[in-house]
Amino acid sequence: MPVSQAKKVTMISALGFVTDPAGRYVHWGVILISMTNLLIIVAMVIVFVLALVVPFGSGEKPPGDQERRKP
Amino acid sequence: MTTRAESVSPDETSEAGSWTVRVRNRIVGLVPPGQALPDRQPVYVASWIYVFGVATLAAFVVVLVTGGLLAIGGVSWWHVSSVGLFVNSLHLWSVELFFAFMVIHLWGKFWMAAWRGGRALTWITGMVLFLASIGTAFTGYLSQGNFASQWISAEAKDGINSIGVGAYFNVLNPGQMILWHVVLLPVVVGAITVMHVILVRRHGVVPPIDAVDPSADTEA
Repeated sequence: MPVSQAKKVTMISALGFVTDPAGRYVHWGVILISMTNLLIIVAMVIVFVLALVVPFGSGEKPPGDQERRKP
Repeated sequence: MTTRAESVSPDETSEAGSWTVRVRNRIVGLVPPGQALPDRQPVYVASWIYVFGVATLAAFVVVLVTGGLLAIGGVSWWHVSSVGLFVNSLHLWSVELFFAFMVIHLWGKFWMAAWRGGRALTWITGMVLFLASIGTAFTGYLSQGNFASQWISAEAKDGINSIGVGAYFNVLNPGQMILWHVVLLPVVVGAITVMHVILVRRHGVVPPIDAVDPSADTEA
Protein backbone atom coordinates (compact mmCIF):
# COMPACT_ATOMS: atom_id res chain seq x y z
CA MET A 1 0.00 0.00 0.00
CA PRO A 2 1.43 3.44 -0.90
CA VAL A 3 2.48 5.60 2.04
CA SER A 4 -0.07 8.35 1.27
CA GLN A 5 -2.89 5.81 1.11
CA ALA A 6 -1.72 4.18 4.35
CA LYS A 7 -1.77 7.60 6.05
CA LYS A 8 -5.26 8.21 4.75
CA VAL A 9 -6.50 4.85 6.03
CA THR A 10 -4.88 5.49 9.43
CA MET A 11 -6.51 8.92 9.63
CA ILE A 12 -9.95 7.55 8.71
CA SER A 13 -9.52 4.75 11.26
CA ALA A 14 -8.60 7.28 13.92
CA LEU A 15 -11.80 9.21 13.20
CA GLY A 16 -13.81 6.01 13.09
CA PHE A 17 -15.26 6.46 16.57
CA VAL A 18 -16.90 9.68 15.31
CA THR A 19 -17.93 8.66 11.82
CA ASP A 20 -18.75 4.96 12.21
CA PRO A 21 -22.29 4.69 10.76
CA ALA A 22 -23.07 1.72 13.02
CA GLY A 23 -22.28 4.09 15.85
CA ARG A 24 -21.22 3.83 19.44
CA TYR A 25 -23.85 4.76 21.95
CA VAL A 26 -23.71 6.10 25.48
CA HIS A 27 -26.43 4.50 27.56
CA TRP A 28 -26.95 6.17 30.94
CA GLY A 29 -30.29 5.42 32.57
CA VAL A 30 -33.05 6.73 30.33
CA ILE A 31 -30.50 8.63 28.22
CA LEU A 32 -29.35 6.94 25.01
CA ILE A 33 -27.24 9.06 22.67
CA SER A 34 -24.76 8.33 19.91
CA MET A 35 -21.15 9.22 20.59
CA THR A 36 -21.21 11.51 17.51
CA ASN A 37 -24.13 13.55 18.78
CA LEU A 38 -22.71 13.66 22.30
CA LEU A 39 -19.36 15.00 21.04
CA ILE A 40 -21.12 17.63 18.90
CA ILE A 41 -23.14 18.80 21.93
CA VAL A 42 -19.98 18.89 24.07
CA ALA A 43 -18.24 20.95 21.35
CA MET A 44 -21.19 23.38 21.25
CA VAL A 45 -21.09 23.79 25.05
CA ILE A 46 -17.34 24.49 24.83
CA VAL A 47 -17.93 27.14 22.12
CA PHE A 48 -20.71 28.65 24.28
CA VAL A 49 -18.44 28.91 27.32
CA LEU A 50 -15.59 30.33 25.22
CA ALA A 51 -17.97 32.95 23.81
CA LEU A 52 -18.70 34.07 27.37
CA VAL A 53 -15.13 34.20 28.66
CA VAL A 54 -12.94 35.13 25.66
CA PRO A 55 -12.46 38.92 25.36
CA PHE A 56 -14.04 40.38 22.23
CA GLY A 57 -11.23 42.84 21.53
CA SER A 58 -11.29 46.48 20.55
CA GLY A 59 -14.23 48.62 19.57
CA GLU A 60 -15.47 49.37 23.08
CA LYS A 61 -17.13 52.72 23.62
CA PRO A 62 -17.69 54.79 26.77
CA PRO A 63 -20.62 53.51 28.90
CA GLY A 64 -22.63 56.67 28.21
CA ASP A 65 -22.36 56.21 24.46
CA GLN A 66 -25.52 54.20 24.04
CA GLU A 67 -28.36 54.44 21.61
CA ARG A 68 -31.92 55.55 22.02
CA ARG A 69 -34.68 53.18 21.07
CA LYS A 70 -38.39 53.15 20.52
CA PRO A 71 -40.32 52.06 23.59
CA MET B 1 -29.62 70.25 -4.95
CA THR B 2 -32.75 69.90 -2.87
CA THR B 3 -34.81 66.81 -3.54
CA ARG B 4 -38.55 66.55 -3.07
CA ALA B 5 -38.05 64.04 -0.25
CA GLU B 6 -36.01 66.61 1.67
CA SER B 7 -38.44 69.47 1.18
CA VAL B 8 -41.79 67.73 1.76
CA SER B 9 -42.46 65.18 4.49
CA PRO B 10 -44.73 62.23 3.59
CA ASP B 11 -47.50 63.40 5.90
CA GLU B 12 -47.61 66.82 4.23
CA THR B 13 -48.40 65.49 0.77
CA SER B 14 -51.86 65.71 -0.68
CA GLU B 15 -51.82 61.92 -1.05
CA ALA B 16 -51.48 61.35 2.71
CA GLY B 17 -54.67 59.31 2.77
CA SER B 18 -53.61 56.92 0.02
CA TRP B 19 -52.66 53.35 0.80
CA THR B 20 -49.19 53.75 -0.71
CA VAL B 21 -48.39 56.55 1.74
CA ARG B 22 -49.75 54.53 4.64
CA VAL B 23 -47.67 51.48 3.64
CA ARG B 24 -44.58 53.65 3.10
CA ASN B 25 -44.95 55.31 6.50
CA ARG B 26 -45.51 51.92 8.09
CA ILE B 27 -42.32 50.52 6.53
CA VAL B 28 -40.26 53.60 7.42
CA GLY B 29 -41.56 53.45 11.00
CA LEU B 30 -40.70 49.79 11.55
CA VAL B 31 -37.34 50.66 13.10
CA PRO B 32 -36.05 53.91 14.62
CA PRO B 33 -34.12 56.16 12.21
CA GLY B 34 -30.62 54.82 11.55
CA GLN B 35 -31.29 51.46 13.19
CA ALA B 36 -31.98 49.36 10.10
CA LEU B 37 -28.25 48.94 9.48
CA PRO B 38 -26.59 50.60 12.48
CA ASP B 39 -22.88 51.39 12.67
CA ARG B 40 -22.80 51.80 16.48
CA GLN B 41 -23.93 49.49 19.27
CA PRO B 42 -24.13 49.69 23.07
CA VAL B 43 -20.85 48.82 24.81
CA TYR B 44 -22.13 45.49 26.18
CA VAL B 45 -22.56 44.15 22.63
CA ALA B 46 -18.75 43.83 22.46
CA SER B 47 -18.95 40.14 23.43
CA TRP B 48 -18.68 36.96 21.39
CA ILE B 49 -22.06 35.77 22.70
CA TYR B 50 -23.72 38.48 20.59
CA VAL B 51 -22.12 37.10 17.40
CA PHE B 52 -24.11 33.89 17.06
CA GLY B 53 -27.34 35.45 15.80
CA VAL B 54 -25.64 37.00 12.79
CA ALA B 55 -23.54 33.84 12.36
CA THR B 56 -26.83 31.94 12.05
CA LEU B 57 -27.96 34.44 9.41
CA ALA B 58 -24.69 33.99 7.48
CA ALA B 59 -25.09 30.20 7.55
CA PHE B 60 -28.69 30.63 6.36
CA VAL B 61 -27.48 32.59 3.32
CA VAL B 62 -25.06 29.76 2.44
CA VAL B 63 -27.92 27.24 2.90
CA LEU B 64 -30.10 29.22 0.48
CA VAL B 65 -27.37 29.66 -2.15
CA THR B 66 -26.24 26.01 -2.09
CA GLY B 67 -29.88 24.87 -2.03
CA GLY B 68 -30.51 26.96 -5.14
CA LEU B 69 -27.54 25.34 -6.87
CA LEU B 70 -28.82 21.86 -5.92
CA ALA B 71 -32.24 22.77 -7.36
CA ILE B 72 -30.59 23.75 -10.65
CA GLY B 73 -28.46 20.59 -10.85
CA GLY B 74 -31.02 18.02 -9.72
CA VAL B 75 -30.80 14.71 -7.87
CA SER B 76 -28.50 12.80 -10.23
CA TRP B 77 -26.10 15.78 -10.33
CA TRP B 78 -25.72 16.03 -6.55
CA HIS B 79 -25.29 12.25 -6.22
CA VAL B 80 -22.91 11.56 -9.13
CA SER B 81 -20.76 14.51 -10.19
CA SER B 82 -17.87 15.67 -8.01
CA VAL B 83 -19.05 19.30 -8.11
CA GLY B 84 -22.59 18.20 -7.23
CA LEU B 85 -21.32 16.15 -4.30
CA PHE B 86 -19.28 19.14 -3.13
CA VAL B 87 -22.30 21.49 -3.28
CA ASN B 88 -24.40 18.83 -1.57
CA SER B 89 -21.82 18.68 1.24
CA LEU B 90 -21.73 22.48 1.47
CA HIS B 91 -25.52 22.44 1.84
CA LEU B 92 -25.39 19.80 4.58
CA TRP B 93 -22.57 21.40 6.58
CA SER B 94 -24.02 24.91 6.32
CA VAL B 95 -27.22 23.46 7.79
CA GLU B 96 -25.22 21.83 10.59
CA LEU B 97 -23.53 25.17 11.34
CA PHE B 98 -26.89 26.97 11.03
CA PHE B 99 -28.35 24.81 13.78
CA ALA B 100 -25.23 24.87 15.96
CA PHE B 101 -25.07 28.69 15.83
CA MET B 102 -28.83 28.97 16.33
CA VAL B 103 -28.79 26.74 19.42
CA ILE B 104 -25.81 28.60 20.96
CA HIS B 105 -27.68 31.87 20.19
CA LEU B 106 -30.73 30.35 21.93
CA TRP B 107 -28.69 29.35 25.00
CA GLY B 108 -27.22 32.84 25.24
CA LYS B 109 -30.59 34.56 24.92
CA PHE B 110 -32.26 32.16 27.36
CA TRP B 111 -29.69 32.77 30.10
CA MET B 112 -29.85 36.54 29.63
CA ALA B 113 -33.70 36.40 29.65
CA ALA B 114 -33.87 38.09 26.26
CA TRP B 115 -37.64 38.59 26.46
CA ARG B 116 -37.10 41.51 28.90
CA GLY B 117 -37.84 45.12 27.95
CA GLY B 118 -40.79 44.51 25.62
CA ARG B 119 -38.91 41.89 23.60
CA ALA B 120 -41.43 39.04 24.07
CA LEU B 121 -42.34 38.96 20.38
CA THR B 122 -38.65 38.83 19.43
CA TRP B 123 -38.26 35.78 21.66
CA ILE B 124 -41.44 34.14 20.34
CA THR B 125 -40.51 34.65 16.67
CA GLY B 126 -37.09 33.16 17.43
CA MET B 127 -38.66 30.07 18.96
CA VAL B 128 -41.13 29.66 16.07
CA LEU B 129 -38.20 30.10 13.69
CA PHE B 130 -36.33 27.31 15.48
CA LEU B 131 -39.31 24.95 15.11
CA ALA B 132 -39.88 25.89 11.44
CA SER B 133 -36.17 25.31 10.75
CA ILE B 134 -36.40 21.81 12.24
CA GLY B 135 -39.30 21.06 9.88
CA THR B 136 -37.33 22.41 6.93
CA ALA B 137 -34.29 20.31 7.79
CA PHE B 138 -36.50 17.25 8.28
CA THR B 139 -38.03 17.56 4.81
CA GLY B 140 -34.48 18.06 3.49
CA TYR B 141 -33.36 14.73 4.92
CA LEU B 142 -36.43 13.19 3.27
CA SER B 143 -35.42 14.73 -0.09
CA GLN B 144 -31.88 13.36 -0.35
CA GLY B 145 -33.00 10.73 -2.85
CA ASN B 146 -31.11 7.82 -1.27
CA PHE B 147 -31.59 4.94 1.18
CA ALA B 148 -31.19 7.28 4.16
CA SER B 149 -34.20 9.34 3.08
CA GLN B 150 -36.22 6.14 2.55
CA TRP B 151 -35.27 4.92 6.01
CA ILE B 152 -36.08 8.24 7.69
CA SER B 153 -39.47 8.53 5.94
CA ALA B 154 -40.41 4.94 6.82
CA GLU B 155 -39.50 5.59 10.46
CA ALA B 156 -41.28 8.97 10.51
CA LYS B 157 -44.59 7.92 8.97
CA ASP B 158 -45.94 6.34 12.14
CA GLY B 159 -45.11 9.39 14.20
CA ILE B 160 -46.75 11.71 11.66
CA ASN B 161 -49.81 9.42 11.41
CA SER B 162 -50.10 9.27 15.20
CA ILE B 163 -50.76 13.03 15.31
CA GLY B 164 -53.34 12.69 12.52
CA VAL B 165 -51.73 14.73 9.75
CA GLY B 166 -50.35 11.91 7.58
CA ALA B 167 -53.01 12.45 4.92
CA TYR B 168 -51.92 16.07 4.43
CA PHE B 169 -48.20 15.76 5.16
CA ASN B 170 -47.20 12.39 3.69
CA VAL B 171 -43.54 11.70 4.45
CA LEU B 172 -43.64 8.72 2.05
CA ASN B 173 -44.39 11.12 -0.85
CA PRO B 174 -40.98 12.48 -1.98
CA GLY B 175 -42.58 14.88 -4.48
CA GLN B 176 -44.61 16.53 -1.73
CA MET B 177 -41.69 16.58 0.71
CA ILE B 178 -39.23 18.24 -1.69
CA LEU B 179 -41.79 20.95 -2.52
CA TRP B 180 -42.31 21.62 1.18
CA HIS B 181 -38.52 21.71 1.51
CA VAL B 182 -37.67 24.04 -1.37
CA VAL B 183 -40.78 26.27 -1.52
CA LEU B 184 -43.16 26.38 1.42
CA LEU B 185 -40.89 26.03 4.45
CA PRO B 186 -38.05 28.28 3.15
CA VAL B 187 -40.67 31.01 2.56
CA VAL B 188 -41.93 30.53 6.14
CA VAL B 189 -38.40 30.52 7.60
CA GLY B 190 -37.37 33.51 5.47
CA ALA B 191 -40.45 35.55 6.42
CA ILE B 192 -40.10 34.86 10.15
CA THR B 193 -36.37 35.63 9.91
CA VAL B 194 -37.15 39.06 8.44
CA MET B 195 -39.71 39.63 11.21
CA HIS B 196 -37.23 38.54 13.88
CA VAL B 197 -34.46 40.80 12.57
CA ILE B 198 -36.82 43.79 12.29
CA LEU B 199 -37.90 43.24 15.91
CA VAL B 200 -34.26 43.03 17.01
CA ARG B 201 -33.48 46.29 15.19
CA ARG B 202 -36.66 47.91 16.55
CA HIS B 203 -36.03 47.12 20.22
CA GLY B 204 -32.25 46.74 20.15
CA VAL B 205 -30.25 43.77 21.40
CA VAL B 206 -31.07 42.81 24.97
CA PRO B 207 -28.64 44.17 27.56
CA PRO B 208 -27.06 41.92 30.19
CA ILE B 209 -29.25 41.49 33.28
CA ASP B 210 -27.15 43.84 35.43
CA ALA B 211 -26.78 46.53 32.71
CA VAL B 212 -28.92 49.59 32.10
CA ASP B 213 -31.25 49.08 29.14
CA PRO B 214 -30.92 52.06 26.78
CA SER B 215 -34.49 51.43 25.60
CA ALA B 216 -35.74 52.35 29.08
CA ASP B 217 -34.33 55.85 28.53
CA THR B 218 -36.72 56.88 25.78
CA GLU B 219 -39.35 59.49 25.42
CA ALA B 220 -42.95 58.69 24.53
